[in-house]
Amino acid sequence: MLQRTSISNLQAALQDRSQTAVGIVEDSLDRIDRIDSSIHAFREIYAERALSKAHEIDRLIATGNPIPALAGVPVAIKDNIVTDFGTTTCGSRMLEHFQSPYRATVVDRLEHAGAIIIGKTNCDEFAMGSSTEHCAFGPTHNPWARNRVPGGSSGGSAAAIAAGLCPISLGSDTGGSIRQPAAMCGVVGVKPSYGRVSRNGLVAFGSSFDQIGPFANTVEDAAIVLGVLAGEDPHDSTCASRHVPDYLEKLDQPVADLRIGVPREFLSDHNDVSVKTAVQNAIATYASLGAEIVDIELPLTAYGIATYYVIAPAEASSNLARFDGVRYGLRAELSGDDDLFELYAKSRSQGFGPEVQRRVMLGTYVLSAGYYDAFYARALKTRRLIKQEFDRAFEQCHAIIGPTSPFPAFEIGATQDPISMYQCDIYTTNTSIAGICGMSIPCGFSDIDGQRLPIGLQVQCQAFDEATMLRVAKMFESATTYHAETVSHDGTS
Amino acid sequence: MVENRTIKTAQLKVGMEIHVELSTRSKMFSRSANVAHPDHYDATPNTLVDPVVLGLPGALPVMNRAAIESSIMVGLALNCSIAEFSRWDRKNYFYPDLPKGYQISQYDLPLCFDGELEFIGANGQPQTVSIIRAHLEEDTGKLSHDISCRHGSMHVNALNQSLIDLNRAGTPLLEIVTHPDLKYADDAVIFCQELRNVCRFLNVTGGIMQRGHMRFEPNVNVIITTDEGKQIATPIVEVKNLNSFKAVKGAIEHEFNRQIKQWQETGLEMGAGMKSTRGWDADRGVTVLQREKEDAHDYRYFPDPDLPPVVVTEEWKQSIATCIPELPQQRRRRYVDEYNLTDADALTLTTDFDVSNYFESCIDMLQQRTTSDMTAAHMGKTVAKLLLNAGARRANEHHRELHDLGVTPEQIAQLIEMREANTIGSSAADELFDLLCEHDADATTLAESCGLLQVTDSAQLDSWIAQALEAEPEAAANYAGGKDNALGRIIGTIMKLSNGKADAKSASDQIRRQLRDN
Repeated sequence: MLQRTSISNLQAALQDRSQTAVGIVEDSLDRIDRIDSSIHAFREIYAERALSKAHEIDRLIATGNPIPALAGVPVAIKDNIVTDFGTTTCGSRMLEHFQSPYRATVVDRLEHAGAIIIGKTNCDEFAMGSSTEHCAFGPTHNPWARNRVPGGSSGGSAAAIAAGLCPISLGSDTGGSIRQPAAMCGVVGVKPSYGRVSRNGLVAFGSSFDQIGPFANTVEDAAIVLGVLAGEDPHDSTCASRHVPDYLEKLDQPVADLRIGVPREFLSDHNDVSVKTAVQNAIATYASLGAEIVDIELPLTAYGIATYYVIAPAEASSNLARFDGVRYGLRAELSGDDDLFELYAKSRSQGFGPEVQRRVMLGTYVLSAGYYDAFYARALKTRRLIKQEFDRAFEQCHAIIGPTSPFPAFEIGATQDPISMYQCDIYTTNTSIAGICGMSIPCGFSDIDGQRLPIGLQVQCQAFDEATMLRVAKMFESATTYHAETVSHDGTS
Repeated sequence: MVENRTIKTAQLKVGMEIHVELSTRSKMFSRSANVAHPDHYDATPNTLVDPVVLGLPGALPVMNRAAIESSIMVGLALNCSIAEFSRWDRKNYFYPDLPKGYQISQYDLPLCFDGELEFIGANGQPQTVSIIRAHLEEDTGKLSHDISCRHGSMHVNALNQSLIDLNRAGTPLLEIVTHPDLKYADDAVIFCQELRNVCRFLNVTGGIMQRGHMRFEPNVNVIITTDEGKQIATPIVEVKNLNSFKAVKGAIEHEFNRQIKQWQETGLEMGAGMKSTRGWDADRGVTVLQREKEDAHDYRYFPDPDLPPVVVTEEWKQSIATCIPELPQQRRRRYVDEYNLTDADALTLTTDFDVSNYFESCIDMLQQRTTSDMTAAHMGKTVAKLLLNAGARRANEHHRELHDLGVTPEQIAQLIEMREANTIGSSAADELFDLLCEHDADATTLAESCGLLQVTDSAQLDSWIAQALEAEPEAAANYAGGKDNALGRIIGTIMKLSNGKADAKSASDQIRRQLRDN
């Protein structure tokens, strides 16, 4: 199956002419055609453009010149990353028909590396959600259990990989939006350190947290794509100018004298028992590989959600102010005596769904005079403390592991209460708050009602130490087979 | 009992907020061309835009270093401290001219703070206004309401619509805020002019008022002393968006009178939440209420997560400091010290950047050209004298500035050389200045072709002298008899005969020799 073939094998097949880029892309489009109606991972497909780009790659290969790193690899893009072709809706009525005149830096880098953008994937509206249910254009279904959510907000991108619709996709992670759906869909998902990948062209949600990262079938594929995405960008001054290492160079070398930190707080009884068991097995696996397991403490974990849900909505309330119905996007029909205020109020009420409106109001509230110090300023202080806590933890260990999500995928519509929905992010928000890197890799399954639901292991490392994180993840992947297990009835039967 | 509102004295109190559009090549946070740069003054609406300026989804601001440098330069010129660490904040509010729904500004950590500017007040005495802060922000776009105009092929006549031009959106804007140190409308105007002058000397803005390169917002109130000796401050009014010095003067004067009257009628005093905002109606010469209570606005300022803080190292600051040219005050002092000009003349030659540069160019030109042994001081003094007499008179007549009379520095230098070499008389020189206003020709050629050169040729001179002595026998006799003042009459006749071309000095010498020496 081409869409589960590793990038290196695809490249080899292109090189020895046993496969063409057009063939790979046709296969991807064909699978989307057959399967995606029951998953709804994609919101838009660029079949014609993708095939024409694939032809270009094939012509390039025919010249015998060296081929770029991602030549012919079909890639799906989360619908909050702008492209100068097609529409970019952020899963919102507000941008239902929005066409961006420019493209994100990551899109540029992918195409420069020969990747073929095949379509845009569904997500929670403006990346606000943990289930890919809060979308203006319908929810995405988990390929492993169609009555369940794929996680979110990058649920479409995770589901596309899990269903074998394409080998690579991009998501964005603000408080767990790559890692949590990766866990729930049983794929690899990487949230790079803040500043590792350019945000230019990523529609902002929480600007001080947002990072773009890859979903893949394997750690190696994710490492290859991260190498393409990462690095300085003159269009984003929060993007770091520091050197991007070759993530493949030492990927297969075990980390010498590896010390793995396991925060006590991550193994609490909040976790589903299947998650707890899978993570304990993972710890045992690392121990059997010769790692030293270090018991660490991250007591501020408990404050992560509260801190995150003050700062991120505050930034969002400001970031989303530009959607005012004036220059682009939805503009409400006005009646005769409506004034400018009505133009704003009606356009924004009609354009934004309830979860977005909730967060805009929350963010506006915490930044208001009289509340700023009690909420926003205090959350910034907690943020500093959380960073310091991680700094101290990394003095004791190379990497921190634990569950990505406290429970496996839940049923669509099951979680109505926003606060309990926010609890999905309990293990992921602090990574983003501290700006360090984190990723999720498959580490087991939960068997419920005859359904096999993937469980994810989160690996976190210090800021800009993606190389170590990927090596630690690769060690586990090499020693286990969870990543190789795929959806058995993928709609083709 | 009705309060006694009899006024003994009323003292105006004015602080200024000045917005300066910086003329950097690109905008504050994007690579888009800047409408305040001379190359783009008349750009077609909405052509100086890019994803950042338009506030498109996903677009990020990137700081323009040149705008920071310009601002630091202004800060240093105003004797400000420059913050080693300042940052960008978002000022959140909705308006159609604000594409992102927030303006990037500096809230609690401005780039420049604690400065002062000295200027010569209306009474001729130096005074100082303290600068509280100078911070950078981005300008907004422009709205045009009540449209009934033709824009290319698009005809807009709906009264219920507004057009948005985002060319100005994102232009670097330096906001300078002063203490309320000003006590007279005239001084406020002079202060604003001096500040404009400083900015133009620094070449950080075009400073063209009609284009809105500088906008002034006076904060005005009045300190009233009652008959009973009680001191009362009236509520502060901020007059928004004045873009001429005339408006600054008019608005402040009107506020002074209006606030006194308001106090007499209502007894309202300054207090928390009392600050209101007014606009200037130039046609009626009155200020008009715009917003009642400033405090009602909550901009929800917070640090912009898209932009790293601005860190100014001592080294960077020093390298900027070395780029600061001679400023008006320094120039004024130099004119007094080196050229021996009076304070008043030095002031006249430095209150306008263009005039001052014109004066400098004339001196430079003279220095380059001259072969005589004129000292620098003499050259300065001579050029100043010419410009402030012949020049100022023409400028007055033509309602133009000195530099704008059409006389090139080269022509000025030639004229002065002719005077120095005594090849042209003073009245002919004055006449030549007139001609130079209209002609591009070389001054010497022009003087020659118009017959303005002095005649020192002795045969011609002798003939005029002979005719004059014949016509004025009495004066000739008197002069010969020792009456010096009789010479004037004879010379007058010679000048009449020669149409002013005769060299009066040569003529006098000659007559003395003829009538007295032998």
